[in-house]
Amino acid sequence: MSLIHVDRVSKQFRKGSETITPLSEAELQIDRGEFVSLMGASGTGKSTLLNLIAGIDKPTGGRIVVDGTDITQLSRTKLAAWRARNIGYIFQTHNLIPVLTAYENIELPLLLLPMNRSERQRRVEIAMTAVDLVDRANHYPRQLSGGQEQRVGIARAIVTDPTVVVADEPTGDLDTETSSQILDLLQRLNTELGTTLLMVTHDSDAAAIAGRQLRLDHGQLVEQGERVSVAVHPEAS
Amino acid sequence: MFKFAPYLLKTLWRHRTRTLLTVSGSAVALFVFCFVLTVQQGLEQLTKQDDSVLVVFQANKFCPATSHLPQDYDRIIGEMQGVRDVVPIQVFTNNCRASLDVVVFYGTLADKIRQVRDFTLVGGSWSAFEGHQDAAIVGQTLASRRGIQVGDKFSVGDVTVAVAGIFTSENRAEEDYVYCHLDFLQRTRGLDLVGTVTQQEVWLDESADPEQVAAAIDAKLKSGQIETDTRTKGAFQASSLADLIHLIDLSHYLGWACLFLMAVLLGTTTIMTVEDRIGEHAVLQTLGFSTLRVFRLVMSETVLLSVIGGCVGIAMAALVLSQAGISVGAEAVTIAFEPSWNMVVTAAVTSVVIGLIAGIAPAAHAARADIVTALRFSG
Ligand SMILES: Nc1ncnc2c1ncn2[C@@H]1O[C@H](COP(=O)(O)OP(=O)(O)OP(=O)(O)O)[C@@H](O)[C@H]1O
Ligand SMILES: [Mg+2]
Repeated sequence: MSLIHVDRVSKQFRKGSETITPLSEAELQIDRGEFVSLMGASGTGKSTLLNLIAGIDKPTGGRIVVDGTDITQLSRTKLAAWRARNIGYIFQTHNLIPVLTAYENIELPLLLLPMNRSERQRRVEIAMTAVDLVDRANHYPRQLSGGQEQRVGIARAIVTDPTVVVADEPTGDLDTETSSQILDLLQRLNTELGTTLLMVTHDSDAAAIAGRQLRLDHGQLVEQGERVSVAVHPEAS
Repeated sequence: MFKFAPYLLKTLWRHRTRTLLTVSGSAVALFVFCFVLTVQQGLEQLTKQDDSVLVVFQANKFCPATSHLPQDYDRIIGEMQGVRDVVPIQVFTNNCRASLDVVVFYGTLADKIRQVRDFTLVGGSWSAFEGHQDAAIVGQTLASRRGIQVGDKFSVGDVTVAVAGIFTSENRAEEDYVYCHLDFLQRTRGLDLVGTVTQQEVWLDESADPEQVAAAIDAKLKSGQIETDTRTKGAFQASSLADLIHLIDLSHYLGWACLFLMAVLLGTTTIMTVEDRIGEHAVLQTLGFSTLRVFRLVMSETVLLSVIGGCVGIAMAALVLSQAGISVGAEAVTIAFEPSWNMVVTAAVTSVVIGLIAGIAPAAHAARADIVTALRFSG
């Protein structure tokens, strides 16, 4: 069984008398350890799909089953607890908490899990090493470059060792040079740690690094090219 | 929850100007609230006390300057049933009307003072007082307000006394008075007051019914030289302070208004910070913070502001009230404003409650915001 099953999911927005349907009975299955990129024209509903899978939005119809849990059935509170354990979210604008240091930002999601201080410290250090930011631990977001901020954002997303990491245009705000560093990093997370990744992007070069490329078109998901199998490291997830 | 303390404190520190202003506003509000509370408590102490003590005054007189009773009424009253002791008192005051600087002289029999008052001398000696006609003992509040020391001569109007001691009392209002010898006060002003006193203080047996004895005294003296009006000491003091009591009752509203303002101030500040951080809270929820957790974070922020402001206000009030020795009096009865633990605890609890009330709406606003919509505000 696949790790993520988006089962005939629809999403509608009502704006006055007008109804927008970014997703209509969309179907998608993602396996553990896959790196999937999602492209599509602006306003087609890519972010909407990502948010549904991340459990911060609810579909109008259909089910989303992640690792055996139908998240569309969870209450708001249960869903929050589920996100804390299972989702790592990488934002386009990194969204770090400005009053907290890089270290504290990365530690934040761990505070929601039953874990003592030394275990938290161990995990934060691993995540910071993974994004190569150990020397910036005590810097505040305003003291970091855009690329460094995004790396802190990535570390925060992977620190809980979540079931799925979703990224909504993670390189959208960065220059080409920095973008490719971030993309390299994401790819390494996937190949070395076996992280399951779903990345929305507008950049076809960025999309190309993913093992599997999807396009959202008229509310439906379309596979792009061949489906390539990637290495899976179940012991690491 | 303490795990999130750094986030909470850093958030408050980041908006330190706003935090400082809110804390100051809350401090002032609670300072005034403490004052009002203290005034109420001072009044309560004065009017609820001493049910076993009666004050006999001349009927239909209200100012101590106009009440004249024969001194030997003490013997008549002393023989009545239920009466344990009678203390004749001549009162002299510099100001009969409501004032913040009332000086009241109580002239009475030296040997009775130690029987019916709980005074402790903190300076001077009883023998110096008892041994000199013009000697007086002065309450500590008045002494520190007027800078009076043992050995000083102290004058108000025509009365000049030699200060033989400074006393403290459980009843702080007493510390605003000067006690001197009865016959000294009767003679001093050149008035022919010998043989008359302002009032008789009647101490009852434990079993006696105050109302009954009071009625009996007035009935017995109805046929005497001067008609009397006898009430319990609490009731007597309440009627002396009647005008002030109205004012103090009104100060209730001042207290409530301060709390209301404080809640509005805290609520406004918090709603502003919540509006500013609508995106940040959405990020926290995306990370897995529950609705309740965000609600509690915002609540803690408001309560923290409220409690910090409250503590500053309480500390200021306690300091001012204990140092300034403020009291207000009328018709020779004064209310002492004294900080108490009761005030501190009441005000501290109040500041927590105000913080909770002020935080509810902003916290609910932050917690209930739709995550996806709110995320659009971030970045
Ligand atoms: N809360 C909302 N209310 C109404 N319409 C919405 C809402 N959220 C999204 N939409 C609409 O749904 C459609 C899909 O939005 P979405 O943000 O998912 O697009 P997208 O593919 O991520 O676009 P972009 O590439 O520009 O980020 C858009 O037409 C958008 O206007
Ligand atoms: Mg989008």
